Amino acid sequence: MASLSRELRFALRDRTVQIILLLALAAAATSVITGVKAVEDQQALIDRLLLATDEERAVAVENAGDPGDMAYYAFHLTYAPPSALAFSALGTRDTLPWKHRIRMLALEGQLYESDVGNPELSLSGRLDFAFVAAVLLPLLLIFLLHDSEAGERRAARHDLLCVTATEGRSLFTLRAIARALLLMAAIAMPFVLGAWLQGAGLSGIGIILGAATLSLIFWLVVCLVMVQRIDAGPTCAIALLGLWLVLAVLLPAGGKLAAQSLVDVPQGGELLLAQREAVNDAWDLPKPATMDPFIERHPRWAPYREVKRPFEWKWYYAFQQVGDQAVERISSELREGIGERDHLMGMLAFLSPPLLTERLMTRAAETDVAAFQRYERCVRSFHASLRAYHYPMLFGEQPFSDEAKTALPLFEPCHRSAGQ
Amino acid sequence: MSPVFRIAAEEWRYWRRSRLGLAASVVIVIVLLASAVVTWREVASERDQREQLQTTAENIFFDQPARHPHRMVHYGHYVFRTPPPLALIDPGVDVYTGAAVFLEGHRQNSATFSPAYSGPQGGSFANLSPATVYQVLVPLMLIAVGFSAVARERERGSDLLLLTAPMSSRELWFGKTLALAAVAALVLLPLLAAVVLATGYALDGIMLLVGYALYLLGWVCLTTSVSARSRSSSNALAVLLSLWLAACIVLPRVAASGAEVLLPVPSKIEADLAVAKAMRSLGDGHNAADPAFEQLRANLLVQHDVDKVEDLPVNIRGVVAEAAEAELKQVMDGFAEGYAIQEKAQADAVRWSSLLSPLLAIRGFSTSLAGTDLAHRHRFLIEAEEARYRFVQELNQLHASDLNYADDIRRSSDAGAEKRTRVSSDNWESLAKFRLTPDPLADRLGRGLPFFALLLAFLVLATVLGVTARPAGVR
Repeated sequence: MASLSRELRFALRDRTVQIILLLALAAAATSVITGVKAVEDQQALIDRLLLATDEERAVAVENAGDPGDMAYYAFHLTYAPPSALAFSALGTRDTLPWKHRIRMLALEGQLYESDVGNPELSLSGRLDFAFVAAVLLPLLLIFLLHDSEAGERRAARHDLLCVTATEGRSLFTLRAIARALLLMAAIAMPFVLGAWLQGAGLSGIGIILGAATLSLIFWLVVCLVMVQRIDAGPTCAIALLGLWLVLAVLLPAGGKLAAQSLVDVPQGGELLLAQREAVNDAWDLPKPATMDPFIERHPRWAPYREVKRPFEWKWYYAFQQVGDQAVERISSELREGIGERDHLMGMLAFLSPPLLTERLMTRAAETDVAAFQRYERCVRSFHASLRAYHYPMLFGEQPFSDEAKTALPLFEPCHRSAGQ
Repeated sequence: MSPVFRIAAEEWRYWRRSRLGLAASVVIVIVLLASAVVTWREVASERDQREQLQTTAENIFFDQPARHPHRMVHYGHYVFRTPPPLALIDPGVDVYTGAAVFLEGHRQNSATFSPAYSGPQGGSFANLSPATVYQVLVPLMLIAVGFSAVARERERGSDLLLLTAPMSSRELWFGKTLALAAVAALVLLPLLAAVVLATGYALDGIMLLVGYALYLLGWVCLTTSVSARSRSSSNALAVLLSLWLAACIVLPRVAASGAEVLLPVPSKIEADLAVAKAMRSLGDGHNAADPAFEQLRANLLVQHDVDKVEDLPVNIRGVVAEAAEAELKQVMDGFAEGYAIQEKAQADAVRWSSLLSPLLAIRGFSTSLAGTDLAHRHRFLIEAEEARYRFVQELNQLHASDLNYADDIRRSSDAGAEKRTRVSSDNWESLAKFRLTPDPLADRLGRGLPFFALLLAFLVLATVLGVTARPAGVR
């Protein structure tokens, strides 16, 4: 213990170590500050949108003369609020949608609208804590350790050190551990502070720190092995960097391709065209062509299947529903494909510690593909509740009343425990 | 043989013997080829699919039966963004932007289904296109191969020995640089092949190649210059890796995160809500009796010298729909424009960081030239909107001129009137053909020019660093 604290003191006095620790601290602090700000902006945006949507819906509902009108003009905001840890791993939140403006028309036409951030920023990627821990941490550690033994050799102190130190050769291991510990502390401090300010739970903080620690331990072991085997500092650095390249860049990129070619997903464009056809053809089809498949799925409304006029709301909403039914297969294949691809990436992550670290973190921060799919399910079930609420009035079983206007279902964001 | 060439040739001989440089080159070339093949396949198939979908969408649209024109307004139309030829090399922002826009009346929809939607999430570097390989990984390879070029001689003291020969330190540096530049040139060969395959010998492809050559040459000179100015190879490596890490890994991300935080852009939904609000005061184009159109109605009655809308030679509902759409478009365009301006401000903030990061400079140049930058995305949205407005208004005109008002108001309850308010499907053929072509080359080059200048400055700076380096013993 005494020797560890001695090494810690030594390290803190080394100028290279000081610079790298400062860099690590700066990167982590920047990532936490921008992450927290980004998440707070998202939360503020949700609040603004909720306010504006509520106001808009109140007017629409107030002016609605019949249930069809109300269903047509009342929009609802659906959203997935950022979790307390989202600041640390922004994950899919800037490439996949997490908010929609939904009404009772066919859902498939609305669900794929993507109101996501500036693609130019997505192209650069974000500096979040997950990136610092998964990608930067190993690079900084390589910088710190690649020359630790070779440097002493060049200075002709190596053997002397090994002979005189009470720890013998393990002096270098101890030295590396001391440096790694300092590096970890430098990136962990801003994160813990941010997480505490965001009110994150202890278990979540534990998972994120645990993932960062795992990443650190892996790279520490790799560095120690390489440093002992390779005599020249630069050669060692290049070899370590090569390994980093393979694990952090090539494997994930290759894995992505593999997942993409192994699991086929339907084209989004096809789904859109098919859905529109199904919805719009209905205008020109004989009414039973819509009402029959509708009743088949919703036998409860069989007594009301007769459509007497060229236009009736119940028929209009029935063909919206039938439009969704028509693409059910493509849509579920798409969802399953996305899930399957994500599963494959999860398997691959066991070969790539940087990817594993990022995945563990986005999972803890609920910014992974699973969280995105959970949000979509949440929107689907909310939309289903809108239908369940409107149908009795549209089909004339329930009167359209002032109470009905106040009882409109409201969207509640789903949390991890729900709908899994 | 001049001493410069001799030095270069000797450096190559050294690399052939040292396994490391060779291993690094082999790895990079494999990555390069893999990324090229893969991006090519992916983008090519996306292109085919979207072109096909566009044709399908058009055929379906033209094949619609006789209908009420306003029904066609809501039937809508799809346009697809087909990637330009050079997207095969640099897909740019296309990966993150929607591929299809649904055009319909009274709405400016956002684009749906980006390739990222169903693509596997592979972490920070999973979108490995040939462009990113050249931008990020090839510089790392050049550093790995060349960091010790001059510093190695210094460590061994052989530089002084060399300088006793009729050779200046400048010639030594040029020789080493030439050797490394030859490596870079070899690495550029796959890009040359890709450019020729994608565009033939078109000027934009050649310019793209020139940009990348400049960028890599900048890294070559930087590598040998730092090597020439360092006490030891490990110092040179430490400096070079720090520069690479800062320029290629950290800075672009800091810039993006900073731009997002400092210049927040409102959400599309916010604009939609504001449009909805404006719509309430503008009046509902579906309702010809809406008080908002009173003036229009009165003017029309005076103009045609009649007392009732029933007696007008045109269908008031079509006229109102047309006027409402025009008003609405102004509101929507206002928001869309504001949105695009703010997105551009964010992008510009990132681009200013090109002053510090040659990676951002080459990216700016490459995406501008390839037609896959933010400006092209905005143009896609603008052209899609123009197509939308054109087809909606043509339908509204049909509504006004070809439909009988009395039938029109009864069509929901009277099957005969419903039949008579359909116009022939021949009308559809004239609507909405959409093909997106990249901006003219002059525009793309114009946008890329500042980045090109930055790349040139980077190269000059790196060269000056090397030319002015003096060997340790001479100092």
